Amino acid sequence: MTIVAPPAAAPSSTPPEEARVRALGRQIAAGQAKAGRTRTRALEDRGMEWLARDPALRAALFRLVDVAPACENRRDLAAHLAALLGEAERPGTPIGFARRVSTRRAGGPAVGALADLVVHRMATRFIVGADPGDAVPKLEQLWREGAAASVDLLGEATVTAAEADRYARRCDEALRTLADAARTWPARPTLDVVPRVNLSVKVTALTAKVKPDAPELGIADARHRLRTLLRTAKRVGAHLHVDMESMDSRELITQLVIDLLGEPEFRDGPSAGIVLQAYLKDADEQLDQLLDGIAQPFTVRLVKGAYWEHETVEARQHGWAAPVYETKVESDRAFECLTRRLLQARPHVRVAIASHNVRSIAHALACAPDRDLELQVLRGLGDDLQQALTGMGLRVRTYCPVGDLVAGMSYLVRRLLENTSNDSFLVNRTRGADLDALLTKP
Amino acid sequence: MSFTNEPLLELRRAPVRAGLTDALIALALPWSVPVIVAGERRDAPTFTSTDPGAPTRVVAEVTAATEADVDAAVHAAARAAPAWEAKGAHARAAILSRAAGELRRRRPQLAALAVRECAKPWPEADADVCEAIDFLEYYAQRAIALESTDGLVQLPGERNTLRYAARGVVAVVGPWNFPLAIPAGMVAAGLATGNGVVLKPAEQSPACALALVEAFHAAGVPPAALNLLPGEGDVGAALVAHPGVHTIAFTGSGAVGLSILKTAAELQPGQRHLKRVVAEMGGKNCVIVDADADLDDAVPALVYSAFGFAGQKCSAAARALVHHRVKDTLLERLHGAVDQLLIDQAERFGVDVPPVIEPAARDRIHAFVQTARDQGARVHQPGTVPPHGHFVAPAVIDGLPVGSRVTEEEIFGPVLAVESVRSVDEACAIVGAQPFALTGGLFSRDPATVERVSRLLPVGNLYVNRHITGAMVARQPFGGNRLSGTGTKAGGPDYLLQFVEPRVVTEDTMRHGLVV
Repeated sequence: MTIVAPPAAAPSSTPPEEARVRALGRQIAAGQAKAGRTRTRALEDRGMEWLARDPALRAALFRLVDVAPACENRRDLAAHLAALLGEAERPGTPIGFARRVSTRRAGGPAVGALADLVVHRMATRFIVGADPGDAVPKLEQLWREGAAASVDLLGEATVTAAEADRYARRCDEALRTLADAARTWPARPTLDVVPRVNLSVKVTALTAKVKPDAPELGIADARHRLRTLLRTAKRVGAHLHVDMESMDSRELITQLVIDLLGEPEFRDGPSAGIVLQAYLKDADEQLDQLLDGIAQPFTVRLVKGAYWEHETVEARQHGWAAPVYETKVESDRAFECLTRRLLQARPHVRVAIASHNVRSIAHALACAPDRDLELQVLRGLGDDLQQALTGMGLRVRTYCPVGDLVAGMSYLVRRLLENTSNDSFLVNRTRGADLDALLTKP
Repeated sequence: MSFTNEPLLELRRAPVRAGLTDALIALALPWSVPVIVAGERRDAPTFTSTDPGAPTRVVAEVTAATEADVDAAVHAAARAAPAWEAKGAHARAAILSRAAGELRRRRPQLAALAVRECAKPWPEADADVCEAIDFLEYYAQRAIALESTDGLVQLPGERNTLRYAARGVVAVVGPWNFPLAIPAGMVAAGLATGNGVVLKPAEQSPACALALVEAFHAAGVPPAALNLLPGEGDVGAALVAHPGVHTIAFTGSGAVGLSILKTAAELQPGQRHLKRVVAEMGGKNCVIVDADADLDDAVPALVYSAFGFAGQKCSAAARALVHHRVKDTLLERLHGAVDQLLIDQAERFGVDVPPVIEPAARDRIHAFVQTARDQGARVHQPGTVPPHGHFVAPAVIDGLPVGSRVTEEEIFGPVLAVESVRSVDEACAIVGAQPFALTGGLFSRDPATVERVSRLLPVGNLYVNRHITGAMVARQPFGGNRLSGTGTKAGGPDYLLQFVEPRVVTEDTMRHGLVV
């Protein structure tokens, strides 16, 4: 791979804003460096960096993590490990040894136990609890450290109405449980400008009728379930945030949120929000639609977008133009343009910037000297960042998945794949990439 | 030469959907489908094709071919073939590619026609048009490649050449379930290799066939090189038996396929060649679900494979062989997923189960479900069907006795039998004991299982961790083994070999002891 150094910035191309971005970026990075990091966490980070360099092993391990919950016992898990490593095996690697050990009668269960342990460790790094009640202590600890949370309930895919009902019921209970618990937490003036409890919901889990060519079917089916959740959120004073997923459900989700927030009972609450994905080439039109469609103040969480491979592969297989930017730099650039647009749309829009890219965060902060914005990070991956940002007195919210291991697997795999890709800011930082280069205007 | 599939419409975008709805409104019905022999149209309607969702809507008024038409068509094709072949592969390919362009230009209209005539839901109707285009472009390219094939060993003093000559007249007998793609593919294969072609489309989808023939003719295929003989089974039977036919390309039921093979084997008076049959017939396709399968993927894939287009694909899933450890969970989720299916007219976006092709099909499928009930099986068939149209609600059946007709015979409708197996190997044994071997499916996250099952199953197309329908030209060459077909692969690199005969010329290049 050729590494092309970014061109040195000419003095004339560094407007005052860029200087502020760099200064803020350095401040954040310094905070990250100071953040307490356990020895195991450092090892895990190095492991992830190592995985990013070996695509075959990376694929094998992620497929193991994916299948682990479906394995009957440790011997079964070991057999899967052996087969997966067999696929990744090439001459001159330690994989062959690991594979031989896992297929031995004596070695099998032991290796299975080890794999089991690794999978569980990885999962607990990202998942805060098996259910909302179980998660409360960790959420309170976060709050005391200066970070609010957005809770995301993991679950199996919804293919039946019963599953949609069950997910809606879990969300409803989560809102109540968390609202009850959060009432006793100490005051945090930085955080208390918005509801303490924040639940992220997935519309594709609220209906089994997600059809790309017929969004109206999903809207009709999910409507009553999402309406119930909005009512509960309003009653308990929580914020309800609707996550965005792949293009196949975008029209459904967007229109459903616009429809429901337009209903008279929701004009004065609850606090609600939606997601904007910067990697979409038509994100600007998407934002126009939201600004035109929703009358009351609402939150927009700006993300880069987590379905890049899905969108790219699907488009390729069907012969479509990819709906997403093909290079990271285009997404990063779009992210900054959208950041500016969102900040200008305040107070109609409450802005949440969800990124682990220090440059993107610094840019948002530079554009909002009043600091009236929220910064969101992912539990397990943005922990350093969370500490750095709370240390700067900023409003931080950590996205916290809740659920059991089986349910958490696809989330876990997605997060791991994302963050061990060669484009990842995190991987580049771990590799010791030059901070100034990473802070350069995209 | 590189091949890329025709891009499907991006139906998740509202303006694209609106374009199709407009095309459906603009579609002026009924069409008139004549007999076309050497470009001459004989238009004296004798039967109709109707909309399976609205039986009173006539889609086409059709003239059935007579025995005289059959004879005239075969002679016309035979006369036209030599000049057509003499054009050379490049020229023929250019014309086929132009015909693909004709289809491309009319994509919304053709999809609308398939919606009306065969009750194909929009995504499937659009895919059918795209596949037709793919076949034309792909076989055009393959014919050029075939013409330049030269793999013979050459020694000094002799020149060996291998040439693939057209076999003569190809009789194409097409199905209604892919009313555009499959006839287009078989016709294009015949034409690309320099044969004259006579097309006998299914009586249920003559208008789609006419649209194809017109596209070929408009693109420059000589009128006599492609003839259209609408009609019912008797027309197909007469065509297949005609002594002037060299190759028969057939896609349809096993019973008809076997009778074609038998007819083709009998030498007719005046016949001086052996007929070759390319037959794609039925299946009883199984999907194996192992204990480590991701049910989040397996359930929707099973539902789509079994019930998409009301199960009327030869590749559709008919049996799910499920590891006992996950069977109850899978069945519960499958039932719940079937509850969510939309049974409605094909033209409605988001429809899962459109009407089946005709009343006889509906009655046959109902009879299978009744058999299951009579045999004491559990039938989950929750849907209610619209009042008009030949609808059958999708059914999931389990608890069938071993050897039940429901698990052994092809139903060709929205019926899925679920059976519990103790292991993947037991499932493989069940599949291996079947007379059919068309498609198969496997859900497993163990590469060793995937490898083992791939080697064990005799099926022509095995799909792993995905739905088992929707083979793409050039990417998934399609066709079955055993009683499912003659083992040929439509949309594959060697398909055209069925339409040619190899001829080798060896020339002595020595003259008076010298190599000249």
